[in-house]
Amino acid sequence: MPPIRTWTTDDFRLDPSRPLYEQFVEQMRAMIAKGELEPGTRLPSVREAAASLRVNPTTIMKTYQELERLSLIVTHRGQGTFVTQAETAIHASRRLLARTAVAQLQETAASIGLTLEQLLALAHEEE
Amino acid sequence: MGNIGNVENRAASAGKAPAISCREVGMTLKKKKVLANVTFEVEAGSLTGLLGPNGAGKSTLMRILTGLVPPETGRADLFGAPAGPERLGVLSFLPDRGQLPPYLTAGEWLQFAASLYPDWSKTAERDLAEELGVDRAQRIGAMSRGEEARLQLLTCLSRQAPLIVLDEPFTGVDLVSRERIASAVVGEMADGERTFLIATHDIREMEQLFDRIVLVGKGTIQGSYLVDDLRRSGRSVESCYREVFA
Repeated sequence: MPPIRTWTTDDFRLDPSRPLYEQFVEQMRAMIAKGELEPGTRLPSVREAAASLRVNPTTIMKTYQELERLSLIVTHRGQGTFVTQAETAIHASRRLLARTAVAQLQETAASIGLTLEQLLALAHEEE
Repeated sequence: MGNIGNVENRAASAGKAPAISCREVGMTLKKKKVLANVTFEVEAGSLTGLLGPNGAGKSTLMRILTGLVPPETGRADLFGAPAGPERLGVLSFLPDRGQLPPYLTAGEWLQFAASLYPDWSKTAERDLAEELGVDRAQRIGAMSRGEEARLQLLTCLSRQAPLIVLDEPFTGVDLVSRERIASAVVGEMADGERTFLIATHDIREMEQLFDRIVLVGKGTIQGSYLVDDLRRSGRSVESCYREVFA
């Protein structure tokens, strides 16, 4: 089983003018989708994570609750909180990541009056 | 682990009397009105920042909460009963200036403090000494500002008092000490049973820690916000502070 993961403040980029737990959820979800957080990895307790990241424990609780709701982490009573081993949940998070990226790309395309396909074609055009 | 279950504990404690409740507190010192109509609450289990520029009245407010002086008008309650010397058991206070005896070593001081406070926890002292990196053999007089601040916090947190009041814990303290202090504070509040009020003007160090901020300026409350609400409206603690005080 992968070892327990501990965090440092360098693991996350936080914008102080957005709710912090939302940003932790997004960034941990991406880590799980990319496999940086392997299935079965044990996460630090709320206390440990709050202390090492220097954020309010409530922020970490909300983050874990939301990730649990998304089925990306599971809590085993008396053992701790772990990244899910369920392929379907991980796949769903990869799909969501892909959709978000495509939506951003579509926005960029629209801002210069192109469809997504036209944007890709333009990017691949020879000089 | 019950890590996540703690949210329910926290919700349950929200129904209790607030840790601090000030109602129309007023104070005149040397014919000068230093506090007027100060009304705010600090929920039990929260970490609240009392923010404001120097001379805003923060220290006078702390003196009232710690029972050093009674409010001239209005009332200040801790867990539903008036603040005062008889309420010192529920409150652990870190003053903004070092007042520990310089001729003692950290270890000698801690032994003395343990005998002084009935709610002292040896276990908490041992765990926190390690977390805060306090060297028991070091003489207090030879400590840097940061080392002394860490020893003061250790003294403050080794007590089991449910309310912790810290007055400018970061002033003149080096970066590494500030980080260790912030980590120790959040570690201590993780079970949701302790309430922190932290008076500071060093917003950047602390803004990720606060549940709520209470802004004090010109002797009265200029605003009180849940930090998550601020962030949901696209504002940060710092931008809110600037709006109010700049």
